[in-house]
Amino acid sequence: MGNTKRRTISRRDFIKAAGIGAVAAGAGPTIIIPRRSYGAGKTLKILQWNHFVPGYDKWFNNTYTKEWGAKNGMEVIVDNIGLAGINARAAAEVSAQKGHDLFMFLWPPPDFEDQVIDHKEIYQECEKKYGKPIDLAVKSTYNPKTKKYYGFSDSYVPDPINYRKDLWGDVGMVKGPDTWDDMRVGGAKIKKKHGIPVGVGLSAEIDTGMAMRAIMYSHGASVQDEEGNLVLNSKQTLESIKFVKALFEEAMTPEVLAWDASSNNRAMLAGKVSTVLNAISVTRTAENEKMPIGDNILVTKAAKGPVRRIGLEHVMDVYVIWKFAENIEGAKKFLVDYIGNFQKGFLASEFYNFPCFPKTVPDINKLIAHDPKSNPPDKYAVLSDVLDWATNVGYPGYANAAIAEVFSTWVLNTMFAKAAVGAETPEAALAQAEAACKRIWAKWQERKMI
Amino acid sequence: MTKHTQSLADNERWLGRVMIAPAIVYIVALVGFPFFLALFYSVSNITVGSTETSFIGLENFRHLLHNRTFLRALRNTFVFAFVSQALVLVLAKTLALSLLKDFRGKWVVRLLILLPWVAPISLGSIGWLWILDSVYSVINWTGRALGIFGPATWPIWLGQPTLAMASIITVHVWRLLPLATVILLGGLTSIPQDIHDAAAVDGAGFWRHNFQITIPLVLPIMLVAMLFGVVFAFTDMIVIYVLTRGGPYDTTQVLASLAFFTGIDGGDLAAGAAIALFLFPVLAVSAILMLRLARRTEVT
Repeated sequence: MGNTKRRTISRRDFIKAAGIGAVAAGAGPTIIIPRRSYGAGKTLKILQWNHFVPGYDKWFNNTYTKEWGAKNGMEVIVDNIGLAGINARAAAEVSAQKGHDLFMFLWPPPDFEDQVIDHKEIYQECEKKYGKPIDLAVKSTYNPKTKKYYGFSDSYVPDPINYRKDLWGDVGMVKGPDTWDDMRVGGAKIKKKHGIPVGVGLSAEIDTGMAMRAIMYSHGASVQDEEGNLVLNSKQTLESIKFVKALFEEAMTPEVLAWDASSNNRAMLAGKVSTVLNAISVTRTAENEKMPIGDNILVTKAAKGPVRRIGLEHVMDVYVIWKFAENIEGAKKFLVDYIGNFQKGFLASEFYNFPCFPKTVPDINKLIAHDPKSNPPDKYAVLSDVLDWATNVGYPGYANAAIAEVFSTWVLNTMFAKAAVGAETPEAALAQAEAACKRIWAKWQERKMI
Repeated sequence: MTKHTQSLADNERWLGRVMIAPAIVYIVALVGFPFFLALFYSVSNITVGSTETSFIGLENFRHLLHNRTFLRALRNTFVFAFVSQALVLVLAKTLALSLLKDFRGKWVVRLLILLPWVAPISLGSIGWLWILDSVYSVINWTGRALGIFGPATWPIWLGQPTLAMASIITVHVWRLLPLATVILLGGLTSIPQDIHDAAAVDGAGFWRHNFQITIPLVLPIMLVAMLFGVVFAFTDMIVIYVLTRGGPYDTTQVLASLAFFTGIDGGDLAAGAAIALFLFPVLAVSAILMLRLARRTEVT
């Protein structure tokens, strides 16, 4: 021990070692990790949500895109993110001017119009090959003011009413609520008799946004008219707010004020609510998990209001191709080919995604009338005329930038919730929402986007 | 080694500059640049999807002063920050004093107290989301099983404004408590034992000892802990984002969450930046004052 010479590190040694370390850290990865070979072909990067039906992601990520990539000499990389992170991710990609070649929103994104290519060519090519797209798709991806298609929609998801047949049968409505007034009266009876409330969301999330618009539209109210003028402040809107207040007070509980997008699924499957407005994800989950309650949940079309029977799409798949995408041509080709193969997508999604080009799934009514998973097998047959009662966000006009901002800042959700709980009078809640909308409209009009 | 490197290694002045440069570059790139960008955004009409933007002066700030949601968020921010900090300080002091004592299993207790801090906050908040869930709340089920909640009692923790605010404050306190405890514990252990012994000999009781000896001596470090906590409470939004998303009907919105929902989710970057920067002058002045106070009261 006595011979051991303790070596001290001099400043010079330290700097030398630190310098070598820094160079190694910087250069190391490029030596150790081999670069991806681009010689074999281009890469197509796709970003989309984690589908409610896990089997769809499995098929899309591992089968369809791999086969398509092999056929077209491209490596397809699919990234999936949660629904709540879509807008933030889009903002980040735009800010960096770098990201995915195909980016999928679950709602119309007209506020990104300046950042995306005109998708007209894709619609034209698809129309030539697969027939006309549905009006819902066009209204959700086209800006009539600038004459630009700011996105491309492959599919939409119906938003029927999911109801408990035992509970509704018990109050004499075996086929579930047919009108919004049935929902209020029948829902109140069920709540009184069984202590189980109606579950229509009243919080800052997408399902509430759709449900509140369905109530407004069915009462003859809307945020804008066909030409895109702000018409929120109307007698009809006030009536729809008063209706939601009555529905909340008579047939619901405050739990709907705390909901996120999947709370209504959980509440329905836990037997805690009698009715929800949702896609078929509720019943599909019950079927896939073999939950006994599944057979007791049926679906019916959107409720009729005093003016019309109308509902929303539950979600709207809208792909965009950024102007800064590195593989624009590949992305365009992918979308056109995907529409050609949509029958497979429809089946992989277990009838969750309905086609925007109806001819691509010609036997859709037969398929949904004979579902091998559901009990009864024709549980989803009620969706055969979905296009007669499903409309877009922004009805009766197009989904424009102002409509998108009103939607994503939950202006209407908050308006209805405040009035429902009595935090504001219906008139005051409407006045506040209108003030918010006026500012949004002024902003987008100044930008000549609406 | 080259002649140039040799001269750099021997030159105190230049070596200091070179060695501090990475930290400065880091701060300028990740704090300074975004800050000045946010300043610019707040006086512009930029949106997330826009390619052009123009200067609109203080219009965004003027609009905020007439926005009820913003005013509510401003009030909530102060309530959230001060209530949570008051609770954190009292609880952290109590915990730190307890942890000063020797007892069996002390290290396990220390580990448990530190867990909320070392676990990812998003994960912790998701755990709380389930604890406070409207259907599956473990608090409600336990309360009912124990007969504390009657058949008609089922608190909706995140769906009623007062309960929702109390919930987010509770989770925030749970999260910040470990850091504050560790900081205070560090301060307490640095007080020389002979001061405590002298106080004991002079007959000082618990409260006199606490208020006239311990607190004055740990005040500088308490102020640092409080500064961290206040800045955190004013600028953080993860707990609110995960638990309530500002609801029910915007009653738990704070400036940080409102800025995110307006600027990123809503696409109005300019308004989002204005909301985020609204309290910057107040925070900056508070931070300077607290640091000065901490320095003045420092015991040397």
